[in-house]
Amino acid sequence: MPSPGFTLAQIIADDGSPRLVLAGSLTLADGGALWQQLRRALAQQSIAVCDVSAVSRLDGGAAALLQALAVERGRAGAPLRWLGASGEVGRMLALYDCARSGSCAPVEPPASTLLGDVGDFAHGAWRTTQAILAFLGDLVVGVLAALRRPRTVHTGELGVLFERAGADGLPIVMLINFLVGAILGLQGAIQLHRFGGDQFLANLVGLSVVRELGPLMTAILVTGRSGAAYAAELGTMTVNEEVDALRTLGQDPQRFLVFPRVLTLLCVVPLLTVVGDLLGSVGGLFVAMTYLDQPMVVYLQSLQQAVSLGDVGTGLLKSFVFGGTIALVSCQRGLATRGGADGVGRATTSAVVVVLFALVVLDGVFTWVFSLLDW
Amino acid sequence: MASVLSVRDLAVGYGKEPLLEEISFEVPRGEVFAILGGSGCGKSTLLRTLVGLQEPLAGRVHFRGIGGPDKAMTPPRFGVLFQSAALLGSWTLLQNVLLPLRKWTDLPLDAATVVALARLRLVGLDQAAHQLPAEVSGGMKKRAGIARALALDPPILFLDEPSAGLDPVTAAGLDELIVTLARTLGVTIVLVSHELPSILRTTDQCIMLDRAAGGIIARGAPRELAERSPDPRVQAFFHRTTLPPS
Ligand SMILES: Nc1ncnc2c1ncn2[C@@H]1O[C@H](COP(=O)(O)OP(=O)(O)O)[C@@H](O)[C@H]1O
Ligand SMILES: [Mg+2]
Repeated sequence: MPSPGFTLAQIIADDGSPRLVLAGSLTLADGGALWQQLRRALAQQSIAVCDVSAVSRLDGGAAALLQALAVERGRAGAPLRWLGASGEVGRMLALYDCARSGSCAPVEPPASTLLGDVGDFAHGAWRTTQAILAFLGDLVVGVLAALRRPRTVHTGELGVLFERAGADGLPIVMLINFLVGAILGLQGAIQLHRFGGDQFLANLVGLSVVRELGPLMTAILVTGRSGAAYAAELGTMTVNEEVDALRTLGQDPQRFLVFPRVLTLLCVVPLLTVVGDLLGSVGGLFVAMTYLDQPMVVYLQSLQQAVSLGDVGTGLLKSFVFGGTIALVSCQRGLATRGGADGVGRATTSAVVVVLFALVVLDGVFTWVFSLLDW
Repeated sequence: MASVLSVRDLAVGYGKEPLLEEISFEVPRGEVFAILGGSGCGKSTLLRTLVGLQEPLAGRVHFRGIGGPDKAMTPPRFGVLFQSAALLGSWTLLQNVLLPLRKWTDLPLDAATVVALARLRLVGLDQAAHQLPAEVSGGMKKRAGIARALALDPPILFLDEPSAGLDPVTAAGLDELIVTLARTLGVTIVLVSHELPSILRTTDQCIMLDRAAGGIIARGAPRELAERSPDPRVQAFFHRTTLPPS
């Protein structure tokens, strides 16, 4: 490190008292050295005067450091005086004299404790659950009210929303479901082949995909694509007071922002799931034809026998609920955003995590209920 | 006095079409220089071009004694206040001011905090140091932006509408700070402003821009312009009247 542009010396003044002498150029660039040297020198309580008459240059940052040390000393009961501050040096010291601009009171950051943080976290999780349920309640009430006056719902954006969530998401939904069907098919085929059960591959892949994996994989993809986007979009709007502005314009955010998105995903997720089911089954077919050398007709016939319309129906019922859940939670998380850019990030993360958790729980509940009903 | 900033035949704008053309002016060291003009005439765009955030469409901006717009690993040479203040929203006001100090000085945290708090005190915000930008008013954000721009003691400051949204008393305090920085401490200040009292109190020289004319329509000391300019657009600006239909 280059040597600093200033010097600090300690002398004995004419009256016999010790005194500090600063000389040269005091700038923020040498701030670290200035702070350390001056603090060390001032550790001696008896020094009450610092001579700055030989200081050629003093910038604002250095002046702030000098004045802060003087305040610190004053608070400890041993005030420090600047001697020979004239011209620009004097004016700079005056500008950064806190007594001039009001208070020298220290500014303490708000305290936080570990136990408090843990409590906040637990409380936060509970509040999130409550808020989402309350939001669901509001939504139901809102839907009932809107049914009577459907024109109050903002439908102008529906086309774009359908395109973004549906058409734009189609390629990835097709690809992932095909791959999942094929992977599942391969895993199954290896086992089934060992026991001579080749003809059951269509049962395995068809039922798993249509009842379980198609709806779930599709919902997970929609969560990542559309759910995250809704949370970020509504979060940014909330942070920028755009949502408040909507209220003052007589636009209910629920009808303007939430309804269209819920409606979109209620329609789009089942539609995507149908395509996903199809592609998953094709993935199984691909494995049957390449790995097991099964003719296409054999696979398709056993698929037809194994998978009933009811199986497809239960999957679609799930996907319908999944779609609503994704939209509901993502919009709620977005509208609950607080703070700035990091708030939007947290809202988006929270939306994805909460939705994925909710999807798995709902899936479990569905499976249990369907088994009770023997569907 | 030698000029710190000289601008020659500058054209600024977005895409191919320039918004403003043939902008030339000089700013001497330690002066307050104002860019005036109606809303949307390109003042912020000009300021962004001056500080190197936007490429000029033609002409050049030259800084004397403090180098050009920073590109490499050198500390920023000028402080900039954006029109929207542009504070980092997830950081407190203090952390916003600390950011450049931590990056460009070797100060330990306690000393850097001392300096940052002193900057906030200059603009009357030390007691709000631990608040987030979202928790303070628009005028406070602006002032925190000024404190951040001042953090590294830049020799030249660019301020986009510093006193917009401030009450008259706070605005007067800010004017005083600007005058102190320029007159007694030699900081060069280029500002955009609509506040007539502030302009008259602080500004040495100004240029007035016009969207339709696509460039500078008047230049000089604001008081002179207000009293002597024959241009009806200048008169309308300084006397808060509407322009007669042409
Ligand atoms: N990012 C942008 N892209 C294209 N045009 C812009 C952009 N930002 C601003 N403009 C145009 O430039 C003009 C001047 O903007 P600005 O410099 O912000 O005006 P002001 O004088 O009010 O500060 C505006 O009228 C706007 O049409
Ligand atoms: Mg502007």
